[in-house]
Amino acid sequence: MPRPVPQRAQLPWSLVAGMMVLLLGAAPALPESLTVTLSNQQLYSQPSFTSPAVSPVPQGAPVTLLRREGDWVQVDYQGKQGWLHKAAVAGGGPAVSLPALLGGGPVRQTRHDEVALAGKGFTPEVEAGFRQKNPGLNYAQVEAVERIQVDPAALQAFLREGGLN
Amino acid sequence: MRRRWVILTVAAGLPLVAGFNIPSLPLPAPPLPSQAQKAAEVVTKTGTKAVQAARPLSEEEEYYLGRAVAARLLARYPLYQNPEATLYVNQVGLAVARKSSRPAPYRGYRFAVLDTLEPNAFACPGGLILVTRGLVRLCGTEDELAAVLAHEVAHVVRRDGITSISQARWSEVLTTAGTETARQYAGGVGGALVNLFEAAVEDVFRTLVVNGYSRPAEEAADREAILMLTRAGYQPGALAQVLGKMSGGSGGIFRTHPPTSERLARVKSLAPPAAPAGEKEKVRLQRFQKMKF
Repeated sequence: MPRPVPQRAQLPWSLVAGMMVLLLGAAPALPESLTVTLSNQQLYSQPSFTSPAVSPVPQGAPVTLLRREGDWVQVDYQGKQGWLHKAAVAGGGPAVSLPALLGGGPVRQTRHDEVALAGKGFTPEVEAGFRQKNPGLNYAQVEAVERIQVDPAALQAFLREGGLN
Repeated sequence: MRRRWVILTVAAGLPLVAGFNIPSLPLPAPPLPSQAQKAAEVVTKTGTKAVQAARPLSEEEEYYLGRAVAARLLARYPLYQNPEATLYVNQVGLAVARKSSRPAPYRGYRFAVLDTLEPNAFACPGGLILVTRGLVRLCGTEDELAAVLAHEVAHVVRRDGITSISQARWSEVLTTAGTETARQYAGGVGGALVNLFEAAVEDVFRTLVVNGYSRPAEEAADREAILMLTRAGYQPGALAQVLGKMSGGSGGIFRTHPPTSERLARVKSLAPPAAPAGEKEKVRLQRFQKMKF
């Protein structure tokens, strides 16, 4: 008497194999590229905020990772090499939209910029709506505070003068 | 034979998918070409929603909340118009903030002085820190000002302001953000997200201005402030000194950051006040005294 074929064998295995091939294709094996996610960042000559600044680096700039040391990453930005605090960068690898690629397959752990594409909670658009609804709020003063800039060299001098680290 | 090959392929793929979130869905039949785009959109939406449900507030979202809280505070108190004193407070603030465990939030730290003699300080989520002229006057030295600012930075580091937003409210934000309605909403007034944002701002504002932080949050912020002061090269005992000056008051900072006797005793035991010592401390005192608050 022939044994019944288990239900499992009915799965479209060719589709599973195809998915794996796609996943392999999507996995990046590239030199690690990071993105500067914060504004007002400097490349430092040493992994320390007290070391001299090499160059400013704009928000959104791609940088190439050279090495990691504790909380710091050494990077190359347009031929200039220096250190950034790890809190100032994000990423590694190109953002591949796997759900769209697979049309129903696995969903990758979402990176922050992908959430941005898919619809975030509190965005500049939400803030715009909030401001329109609450015209009595003083955003002009908030923006005045945000314009305050402390020159890195002046801060270094201030720290030195006060015997601070 | 064919099945064995497939099993091997799946096994080889496992390490690759370890970091992925795989929903336990039956594999769908390939959609017709005309439906493919639509199907992909649906899956993208539901997949993202599932991931979002567990995510905390992002740095950007925290920043927009902080701006709104600051805009409410600045509607109540004007900014102190003294660029020299403002720059000085920023330099002292950055001296301690850069030694915190969160030295570089999304748009960085900014410090501003509010033109009122009521002593108070507010740490808006994301790194905008507002301190009143009254509180700076209460500080007798740069080290004491650094202690006050370090304590406020610690609330930003620990995200104490946004913990007042209830989990239920935040889940609603994420659910709303994942719907088609939210997607279509683009800057108009009256969106559901705007209402939720407004409610979240109110939650944070009430903590900062009316109710104050929890006692454990205050304790932890004191500890973090002492660490920051020590790392930066300030006298950590300055925190106990300035807290000592605050006892006995009422309203304002006395309500939002109550300097209770237990709190003062604990801070003293961690970093006892010390008499000014050394040339550099004198330099710091002199530059503080040169500023007009």
